[in-house]
Amino acid sequence: MGMKKSKYVELVLITAALASCNQPKPKADWDDNNKVHLRSDTTAPYTRVHHNGGMGIGTALLWFYAFRPYGNYRNDNYQRAGYYSGGISPMSNIGSNGFKGSLTRGGFGRGGYSVSS
Amino acid sequence: MKRLTTLPRNNWQTAVEDLGFGFHTTNVPYWDESVYYEMEMSEVLLIEKATAELWDLSLGAVQHVIDNNLYQKFGIPDWFIPQIEKSWTEDHPAIYGRFDLCFKNGEIKMLEFNADTPTSLYEAGIVQWFWLQDFDKSKDQFNSVHEKLIAYWKYLKTYLNPGILHFTCLKETLEDLTNVEYMRDCAIQAGLETKLIFIDDLGWDSDTKQFLDLEGEPVKNIFKLYPWEWLLTEEFGKNIIEDSNRAFWIEPAWKMILSNKAILPILWKLYPDCPYLLAAYFEEGKLTNYVKKPLLSREGANIDLVMKDISLQKTEGIYGAEGFIYQDMFTLPNYSDHYPVIGSWIIGQEPAGMGIREADTFVTDNQSRFVPHLIS
Repeated sequence: MGMKKSKYVELVLITAALASCNQPKPKADWDDNNKVHLRSDTTAPYTRVHHNGGMGIGTALLWFYAFRPYGNYRNDNYQRAGYYSGGISPMSNIGSNGFKGSLTRGGFGRGGYSVSS
Repeated sequence: MKRLTTLPRNNWQTAVEDLGFGFHTTNVPYWDESVYYEMEMSEVLLIEKATAELWDLSLGAVQHVIDNNLYQKFGIPDWFIPQIEKSWTEDHPAIYGRFDLCFKNGEIKMLEFNADTPTSLYEAGIVQWFWLQDFDKSKDQFNSVHEKLIAYWKYLKTYLNPGILHFTCLKETLEDLTNVEYMRDCAIQAGLETKLIFIDDLGWDSDTKQFLDLEGEPVKNIFKLYPWEWLLTEEFGKNIIEDSNRAFWIEPAWKMILSNKAILPILWKLYPDCPYLLAAYFEEGKLTNYVKKPLLSREGANIDLVMKDISLQKTEGIYGAEGFIYQDMFTLPNYSDHYPVIGSWIIGQEPAGMGIREADTFVTDNQSRFVPHLIS
């Protein structure tokens, strides 16, 4: 019989931290016709950003397109390579910045808002 | 199986939030403890038995799809087939899945199998268990999710590539993040080194042909709460087969076969005598009362319930371009106009517990509520 539950259940991650987050929801009234062009590197070309069901400026969108710093550890030193955003075209994250080199980000994750099934 | 109403705990919102469960209420309540189901042990044993058997049949069906090259029926692109077959023949690590079962008048029928990205794991494993501790400690629950996850991660440890096990999901969805963080919690307790990275933060180095995390560390093993069919259509999809690290993706690629509704007619064709399967076909017109389901629908979208050519209920959504299957109609049982579906977990190779979601209609969609259960 596999169902008897042990009497001690422990969680090690501070999952309560999750509970304090709000879940931003896509706004239904996003305007389909807003054209937004973004780039994460001044040496990179702007590209039009696309989004499921439309575009607009709202908290959810700003969060989605958040530009985050990234870099590499080399010889125990952290070097910032620049900024990127998962929400924009990889082309606009690279530019001619040599340090970023062959690394692109944002090639996954356009699937939607939740996988829940 | 009885549906009973009860008073929610005074502080239930705080109680579940303290467990890290932050998405209990959206625009409608999701976690609902004003209701619970009381199961008899014999019923639980039946669900457990059906789950184990369905799992065995599912594995047989995967082998059949591979042997007979039936990928086209699933809409799986040719270029990815070798990866699916490799993950199957090399037995790449897989950890879980959830059968959605209809339990009515003593009969169990499988509605579908969420084999790739099942959710509600945390609600099933943790939240309802702690509810039971407050509600009636003397009772038991069909629930060994937590200890089975830890045990199976321990077992998988030696099969993973050396290095970190990354965990990934979409940014911005607390529900997905909670499921992933819970899974990671169990992996940590199993002694694995883990790291969380959002799927859109994953990097690809085209020189060294590897996926990198935000600190530039190569990805060698990655648990993804993100469906294969989305991965494959995205910009980085083809990089998966070029990956110089040959990273293990969990769930593995062969789960694409089981999470696709095209498996339902195949299971039926192979095992028409199985009492837990419903008749299902690729062709319309073989059934009088049926449910038309898109191959890849999620959260009950684009489902059409048809009785004698009349549509009883039809849901909206974005799916269907990939094709449909037709499954014999076996409606969910009616408990005072609430329709429970049983999510029965398989972890490792074993049945591991259940969670009940209740909807107000025959189709369990994203408005359904998770309700706890106990064994009488």
